[in-house]
Amino acid sequence: QDDGYVRLLRRQVEEVFRDNRMIAVCQYNSMPDEDVVLMRHYLRKHNIEVKFVLNEIVRPVLSQSKYKNLLPLFVARNILLVSPETKAKEMLRVLKGVPQINLLGACIDDTILSRQGVENFAKLPSLEASQGQTAGALALLPSQTSSLLQRGSVHLMALLDQHIRRLQAGETGSPAEPAPAQSLGAH
Amino acid sequence: KKMASKISVVLRPVKSIVVRFCPFESNVESTRKFLGCINHKKIQATNRNCEVTADVRHDGSEPLVDVMFADGERLIMKGANLTTIEMLTALRSRCNAKELKEEQKSKKKSP
Repeated sequence: QDDGYVRLLRRQVEEVFRDNRMIAVCQYNSMPDEDVVLMRHYLRKHNIEVKFVLNEIVRPVLSQSKYKNLLPLFVARNILLVSPETKAKEMLRVLKGVPQINLLGACIDDTILSRQGVENFAKLPSLEASQGQTAGALALLPSQTSSLLQRGSVHLMALLDQHIRRLQAGETGSPAEPAPAQSLGAH
Repeated sequence: KKMASKISVVLRPVKSIVVRFCPFESNVESTRKFLGCINHKKIQATNRNCEVTADVRHDGSEPLVDVMFADGERLIMKGANLTTIEMLTALRSRCNAKELKEEQKSKKKSP
């Protein structure tokens, strides 16, 4: 029952999932054509393409792939917003202005996310910023090691210094102080 | 068989409609189709001030349609066991009833 056109459409769906890092599934409620064109235009600026899909084509393709958990999304009318990049923040910003399109979920870097998941993902700092933060955190501990190791001897030196100063002060006539010897003994 | 898209609803007595569902659940089809139908331009044209919002969740909650009428009345339809046509028809009959009441009220005021 598989005619050529159906096979072509199915292959296109497979390609979409293979060639893109971000595939967002949205419910499409009827909107005027000009609004569709405008939305396509703003999304293309962020390298996001709009694809209208038929559930009858997508469902069999997904059910035999690792994306089968996306199957429940494909009822009623849907569109896919796909991109080789993962600019979730920009996508959400454009969608905010289009109330007839409702984001249902997405698959980003082979990870299936709910709508809330996409919003959380959009709030993450960039990969470079996260890498910088991690490198900084890891470098913090070794930087403290050398000062930690020296702390004992530095303290001893400071105490001996004070002891010497007090002995010298004692030679020049001030009352002898047994205190420094006691404080040294306490350590 | 009646097509859901052919059911006309007059939204004049409606203040807002919130359609809530968890898309990853399997009982949301009729609710999502309801959302698609009431977004149709013919129905939207009957009341441009009626806010239709989709509340997409992921917490296992039931799909439902929450209609707030201008006179303060509220209609909640739980979509899990209702068809799209049933929900649209229910909304339509409520709206028509309210419209009728309004007409009778205005007739009484100005004989």
